[in-house]
Amino acid sequence: MTPLNRKLWRELRQNAGAMVAVVVIAAFGAGSYVGMGSAQRILEASQAAYYRDYRFADFWIDVKKVPLTTVERLAERDGIAALQARIVFDVILDLPAQTRPINGRLISFPERRDDTTLNDLYLIRGSGFSTDRDEEVIISDAFARQHDLHPGDRIHLILNRRREAFTVAGTCVSPEYVYLVRGAGDLIPDPEHFGVLYIKERFARDVLDFQDAANNIVGRYTDISAAQRTALLDDIERRLEPFGVFDAIQRERQASHRFLSDEINGLRVSARVTPVVFLAVAAMALSVLLRRLVERQRITIGTLKAVGYSNAVLFNHYVRFGLFVGLLGGLAGCLVGLGLCHALIDVYRDFYHFPRYLMRTYPDLMLHGILISLAFAVLGALRGARRVLKLQPAESMRAKPPEKGKAILLERWQWLWRRLDFKTHLALRDVFRNKGRTLSGIVATALAGSIMIMTFSFFDAALYMVAFQFEHTMRGNATIGMRDARNTEALQEGRALPAVLFAEPTFGIVCDLRHGRFSRRQAIVGLTEDHLLTMPRHQDLTPINIPAEGLLLSEKLASLLQVEPGDTLELKPIRGRPEPRSAYVAGTVDSFIGLDCYASLSYLSDVVGEPASVTGIQALIDDHQRPAFFEQIKQLPNAQALSLNRDAQQSIEGTFVRSLRFSLGTMILFAGVIGCGSLINLATVEIGDRTREISTLRVLGYQPTEIAGIYLRQNAILFGLGLILAVPMGYGLVLLLARAYDTELFRMPVIFRWTAVAWPLLISCCFIVIAQWVVYYKIRRLDWLAGVQVKE
Amino acid sequence: MITTTTAPIRIENASRIFQMGDLEVPALVDANLEVEQGEFVVILGPSGSGKSTLLNLIGGLDRPTAGHVWFQERDLTALSDEDLTRYRRESVGFVFQFYNLVPTLTALENVQVATELVQEPLDAAAALELVGLAERAAHFPAQLSGGEQQRVSIARALAKRPDVLLADEPTGALDLQTARVVLGTMQQLNREQALTIVLITHNPALAALADRRVQITSGRIVDVVRNEAPAAAADIDW
Repeated sequence: MTPLNRKLWRELRQNAGAMVAVVVIAAFGAGSYVGMGSAQRILEASQAAYYRDYRFADFWIDVKKVPLTTVERLAERDGIAALQARIVFDVILDLPAQTRPINGRLISFPERRDDTTLNDLYLIRGSGFSTDRDEEVIISDAFARQHDLHPGDRIHLILNRRREAFTVAGTCVSPEYVYLVRGAGDLIPDPEHFGVLYIKERFARDVLDFQDAANNIVGRYTDISAAQRTALLDDIERRLEPFGVFDAIQRERQASHRFLSDEINGLRVSARVTPVVFLAVAAMALSVLLRRLVERQRITIGTLKAVGYSNAVLFNHYVRFGLFVGLLGGLAGCLVGLGLCHALIDVYRDFYHFPRYLMRTYPDLMLHGILISLAFAVLGALRGARRVLKLQPAESMRAKPPEKGKAILLERWQWLWRRLDFKTHLALRDVFRNKGRTLSGIVATALAGSIMIMTFSFFDAALYMVAFQFEHTMRGNATIGMRDARNTEALQEGRALPAVLFAEPTFGIVCDLRHGRFSRRQAIVGLTEDHLLTMPRHQDLTPINIPAEGLLLSEKLASLLQVEPGDTLELKPIRGRPEPRSAYVAGTVDSFIGLDCYASLSYLSDVVGEPASVTGIQALIDDHQRPAFFEQIKQLPNAQALSLNRDAQQSIEGTFVRSLRFSLGTMILFAGVIGCGSLINLATVEIGDRTREISTLRVLGYQPTEIAGIYLRQNAILFGLGLILAVPMGYGLVLLLARAYDTELFRMPVIFRWTAVAWPLLISCCFIVIAQWVVYYKIRRLDWLAGVQVKE
Repeated sequence: MITTTTAPIRIENASRIFQMGDLEVPALVDANLEVEQGEFVVILGPSGSGKSTLLNLIGGLDRPTAGHVWFQERDLTALSDEDLTRYRRESVGFVFQFYNLVPTLTALENVQVATELVQEPLDAAAALELVGLAERAAHFPAQLSGGEQQRVSIARALAKRPDVLLADEPTGALDLQTARVVLGTMQQLNREQALTIVLITHNPALAALADRRVQITSGRIVDVVRNEAPAAAADIDW
C-alpha cells in the first residue's frame, strides 16, 4: 500500500462516525433502488409468467345472452387466437357463519380444463371438479381463507330463485383476479365481502337457463397490432349488438390488470426518484465532510505539494474518500435492498395473488445500485475536494488567518442578542458563518420533514377520499344491486324490506360518450330529482342537485372528454337504440374514486330512449334490524349484490391503514436516516474542526453535557429552519403526489392538515435527541488534553 | 534560456508583490543572488523581512511578479504549474519549521511519501538511519519529540536525493541541544554529500554555520558575507 493510501485508510477510520452516517444514507439510496427495482421486476416477472402460463385473456365482452354458435363463428375470425364463452353472474351468497349476505361472482368453468382454457385456474387447495357431482364450486383462495372455508365444506347459493347447496372442490387463484376486486370502482380487495366462485360449465347452463348460450366472452388475439385489436373488438361488438352488449374491454381496462400494472409502474417511478433523494443528501453531506477535511489538512496538502505531489494525485487522494464511501454505501445498499424487497413483497402478498412470486436477486440491479452510489459519492467528493486544487503550497503552509469575527445580522437586535446566553451566541454565529454546512443541514432536515409531511398528508388524503365516497356522496348505508328490473316493482320490493327506513332507486346504463375525438365508455347513473341518498358534491362538500336536464360529470371525466359545462356530448347507449343522441353537460362535480356521470331519471330515460328502470337501490336501514334485513335480501330474487357502505368504508380504511402503516414506517425510517444521518455527520465534522475549542472549554471546567448544549442549539436551529422550509416543500410534494395519483381509478385530494405538520415536528424532535446523543458521546470521548496541545 | 553562469541557482532582479485588496505589499524587491553547487547559504532576516518569500521562489512554490529565478539553466518563472511540480519533485527537498509531517503516517511512511515520487530514491529506512532515527521508524509523529520530527522531515527531504535542500527556520521550534543535532545532520550532509543547502532563519547564531550569509531586511538583500571558516554545529550557541 502506498503511503497516501495508508493515510487514506487511517483517516477513514479516524472519521468513522461521520463516514458511517454518510454510508448509511448512501446505503438507503442504493438500497431503495435495488429493493424497489427488484420488487418491481419480481412483480412484473410473476405477472408475465402467470399471464402466459394460465392464458390471461386479451379482451372481455359482456352481453345479455349470445348463442354459442355465434361465438363459434366469431372464433374463426382472423386475428382471434382463442375465444371462449362463459356465464358470469353476480350473486348473493349465504354463508353459514355470516348473518350478512356476501357478494359473489359466479363464473362458469370447464369441467375438464385443458391447455387452451383462458384465464385458467391455479388450484391452491383441493383437487378441483370431480366427475361424479354437479354441485361443486371452486372459490378464490383469499375469500376461502377469510371465511375459513375448506375443500369439502358446503355453501349455499341462490341461483335462478333456487337455493342450491354446493361442495367446495378447491380454492384457487386466477389471472383475472390477481387483485381480487369486482371492478375498477373497488379500490381495495375485500375478501371478507367479495369472492369469485367457479361452477361447472354444463351445470351453470342448466341451472341458469343458458342452454347453448353465454353472457360473457373472453378471447385472445393472434400477434396483431394494437390498432388492429381495437378495430377487431369494435367490429365484434357491432356484430354482437343484437344480443345486447353491456361492455367490451381490452386487457388494459380490466380491473385487476390495471391495479397491478399501476402498482408496477408506481414502483418503477419510486425506484428512480427515492434513490436520487437519498444519494443527493449523501453527496451533500460528503461534500461538507471533505471540504472540512481538506481545510483541516491544508498544511499537509501544502507540504505534499511542496514535496512534489501534483494536484491531480492529491485531488484523486481526497476523491477516494468519496469512492470508498460510495462503494461501501453501494454494497450495504445491496443488503438493505434485499431486505426492502422482501418486506415489499410480503406486503404485496396480501394484495396481489399469484400462484407464486418469482423471487430472484438481480445482480445487474445491485451493480447499478453500487454504481449510482459511487457516482453520487464521487460527485459530492469532487465538490468537497475542489479546494485541494486551489491551495497554493506557500500560502497553505502559513498559519491560517483567524476566522473573521464579524458580527452576524442577528447581533443588530441587541435587545434580543443580549438576552441570549453565550452558548446560543456561539451556536448562532457558527450557523451563520458556515453557510455551506448550514445550508446542507437545512436542506437535509427540510427533505426529511417534507417527506414526513407528505406521508402524513397522504394518509389524511386516503381517508378523506374514502369518507368523501362512503359518507358524503353515498349517504345511505346499504346499496342493493338489482338484476335488470324493468319496472318500479323492484323499488317497491326494496322499500317493503324490513329495516328499510328510506329507499331511493338508481338507474345505471352504460353508454359511449363522445366529444370530438375523445370518447369514453361510462355508466350513467340516473337519480330521482329529489335524491337524498346519493349526493354528488364539490370537494368542499357543497351538495349538488341533479339538474332536471343535462349531465353532471365528475371533473376527471370532463377533463378526459375535454368538455366544460354547456358543451354538448354525443351519447350512445351500449344496448337499446344504436343511433347516437346528444346530451349537454350541465355541470361538474368532484369525485375521487372512479369516474362518475349523473343525470335525472326522467332526462336519462328520455335521452336513451327507454323507460326508466331500477338497477340499484340506495337504502337507509335501521342498524338494529340488520339480521332481519339480511335474511330477506338473501331471498330477494332480483337482488344480485349488496354493499353495506359503512362496512365497506371500514374495511377499506382498515386495509389502507394497514398498508399505509408500512409506508409510513418506511418513510419515517427514510426521513430519520436523512435527518439524523446529516445532523450526525455535520456535528461530527464540527467537533473534529473545533477540537481545540472544545478542549479549551473542558480545561476551563465545562461538562460534556454543557458543551453538547451548544450543538443541541445548533441542531435545533438547523432543524427549526429546515422544518419551516419543510412546510411549503411538503405542500409541494402533496401537490405533486395529487398529480401523480390523478388516474381514472382514483385521485388523491389535496389535504393539508395541521396534524400532518405536527407529527413530523414531534418525530423530528426524536431525531434531534438521537443525533444529540451521538454528539454527547463524541464529546465525552474526546481526548481534550491532547486537544489543547495540538499545534496548528 | 541560455546562460553562461555555472551557479545552479540564480535569482535575477526578482520581486514579489502581494495584492491585499487595494493594497500592494512588496514582500521582496529586486533581489539578486547566486547559490553555488555544494554551498551552505544562510539567509538571515527578522520576521516579515521577505526571507520565506525568497525561499518559496527558489523552491518553486511561488513565482516572482518581476524578474527571474533560474535553476540549472531553467527559468522557473517560465514553467507551467505541472513543470514546477516536477521541479519540486525531482530537484528540491524542503524542511519546515513545524516539520509538517502527515500525522496519520509513521516516521517511515512519512519518508516513503517522498520516495514514492522519484525514480532512484534513497531507501526510506536508510534515509531514517542517516538522521539517526532507524529505531523510531514505526512511531507516529505524535510519539516523537520535536527534534526527532524535524529529523524525519530532513530524512523525507533527503530521500529524494534532491539537488538542493531548502530549510525554513528548521530549528525555530527546537531547544538548543536538539537544534545542534538537527543542524549537525544538515552540515554533515552538506560536507559529505556536497548537498546544496539554503537555510533561512531569524537567529543570527546560525549564520556561523554558513559558507555565505545573506542579510535581508524589508524585502531587500542588504548584505552578502562570505564565511571562510564555518563553525561546527556542535559549537553554536544562543
